Amino acid sequence: MNSPLLAMPLAAVGQVEEGFFHERTGETLPCQAHPSHLFCWDWAAENINRYGTPTLQQFELVIISVVIGFIVAFAFALLAHRYHLLEWPLLAGTGVIFAVPSLAFFLLLLPITGRGRETAIIALSAYTLQIIFRNIMSGLANVPESTKDAARGMGLSDRQILWKVELPLAVPEIVGGLRIATVSTVAIATLAVFAHAGGLGTQIYGQGNLTFPTSIIIAGTIAILMALTFDAVLLTVQRLITPWRRAASQAAA
Amino acid sequence: MPAAEASEQSRGGASSVSYQGATKRYGDSSAPAVDHLDLEVEAGEICVLVGPSGCGKTTSMRMVNRMIELSEGDILIGGESVKKQDGARLRREIGYVIQQVGLFPHRTIAQNIATVPQLLGWDKERIRARTSELLDLIGLDPDLADRYPVQLSGGQQQRVGVARGLAVDPPVMLMDEPFGAVDPINRERLQNEFLRLQAEIRKTILFVTHDIDEAIKMGDRIAIMKQHGRVEQYATPAEILMAPANEFVEDFVGADRALKRLSLLRVGDIDLWRAPNARPGQSTAEVRAELAAPDVEVPYALLVDADERPQGWLTQRDLAGDTVPATADAPLGPLLETGDVMRDALADLLQGESMYAAVVDHDGRIVGILSVEIISEFLASSDAKIDERGAVERPHGPDRASEIAADE
Repeated sequence: MNSPLLAMPLAAVGQVEEGFFHERTGETLPCQAHPSHLFCWDWAAENINRYGTPTLQQFELVIISVVIGFIVAFAFALLAHRYHLLEWPLLAGTGVIFAVPSLAFFLLLLPITGRGRETAIIALSAYTLQIIFRNIMSGLANVPESTKDAARGMGLSDRQILWKVELPLAVPEIVGGLRIATVSTVAIATLAVFAHAGGLGTQIYGQGNLTFPTSIIIAGTIAILMALTFDAVLLTVQRLITPWRRAASQAAA
Repeated sequence: MPAAEASEQSRGGASSVSYQGATKRYGDSSAPAVDHLDLEVEAGEICVLVGPSGCGKTTSMRMVNRMIELSEGDILIGGESVKKQDGARLRREIGYVIQQVGLFPHRTIAQNIATVPQLLGWDKERIRARTSELLDLIGLDPDLADRYPVQLSGGQQQRVGVARGLAVDPPVMLMDEPFGAVDPINRERLQNEFLRLQAEIRKTILFVTHDIDEAIKMGDRIAIMKQHGRVEQYATPAEILMAPANEFVEDFVGADRALKRLSLLRVGDIDLWRAPNARPGQSTAEVRAELAAPDVEVPYALLVDADERPQGWLTQRDLAGDTVPATADAPLGPLLETGDVMRDALADLLQGESMYAAVVDHDGRIVGILSVEIISEFLASSDAKIDERGAVERPHGPDRASEIAADE
């Protein structure tokens, strides 16, 4: 909890956290009384404010987790690129993590790291490793042999070949991995509520919510919009930093 | 661009390359990829390394810039051992052009050409000047400088590859089948362009190809290699065509040699066949008698007019009547002149899908008939000459075979 990165947002949302888990509105609106009623507009209009903080929490969880996941996966990829023997164990290791059921992962971590955002972030970052690592590796592997041969033949050092040729050419696949990782993290981060880390999950799994579809629909819609936004932003960034790809599709057309 | 800078940039000149027992062995395998190669390449010459695949030509080339490290022996560039320098540093001073071009897809044409100048830390202005100079040299529109490789045609990409190899005006260029991936018409054009360019820049060039035609066209000297980088003959193209050192070279140069002779020969230089000539109104019995003669060379009668100009071939139906008709049933087909080059004549015959072509003199009068058979007989007889020479040299044959056996 003493990380400056985590301290600020936690303080901002800390006091509401407990409340969300239990609190429902005092009065019962007519449409709430019928469980068969799918969406209660009146309730939604009245209670839309309560989604602000969980949305912010969710947003922060996703960003922090994907950034950490990317840094770790990138380091793994550089290692595996340099020492090919490491590629398989790293792929297998991150694969195993990826295969652990997400809810179980959160619950298993609780005794070790305790409740709170750190636990959620550890789990969420760990999930992104496989996708990001795999995409970086395949991006590097897809750089044409002839391009690398020409680079070496012109006197680029191995390090220069990696940073000036291989990684730039792998950008589309690396960003592709980030996009999948980010979108899936938005979804999985709704489970962060089980680590008491807040997020949109509070409005889905919170007490009483599971029998009240309106809140699930609102929280779910926010999550979907968030995922689409992340995806669009990443795609735009990728297009901006890989102008040669646009040239390629124009040439093909 | 200031003239002073231009002259400074083209100061690079050329260096000799000298293989001294250069050997490449992979692991402990007993047969080296290249076995004690000795070869002297003079400064400013194009030396073509040619041979069947697996002969070690590419390995030999790649040892020069240490893309492949020497196991034994040495290679000197301008008298300096390649082993003296760090590999990457050495490679920046040697031009490198490969078949797949290997342009960087994520960098523009100008950035691609500027790769090595940037590595050497040239300032921006110098790089810009050199890039436009090179684009001009390879005849590429300056507007293409900011395009990406994918927006260029294969031939244009290959030119950029050459420009990139020349960027820092290296004294030596390595070119590994540089025109191998382009279509035949573009290849021809690129080869011609490159020869014109080389006449200007006079670099020392090691050029690898498996195509003997390309070798003969591009090389000042050709090293014909067998397995293990063994040079079977190192000579000018003319010497190799005229006097192949041994059977291997002969085989490698092969039927192509004889075909090349066709380019030096004219239709009138060869003994043509004669077909029975028939004029309109002539008695068909006469013509039929001629056709039935045992020594007839062409079993068809050629219809000629009063000026002996061939008109067409007479068929059985034409000859069924009493007199030869004024027009022939079968068209004349290809018509050749005595001055035509034999190679073109053969092409005409094959293209017209005809067995015979009438040959006329300058006035259009028939002088004889050329057939595919005559040409193939000529080729066979020149092959026979080669065989004779082979027979003379054959005493060396067994020695060479035992040498190779002893090595393995």
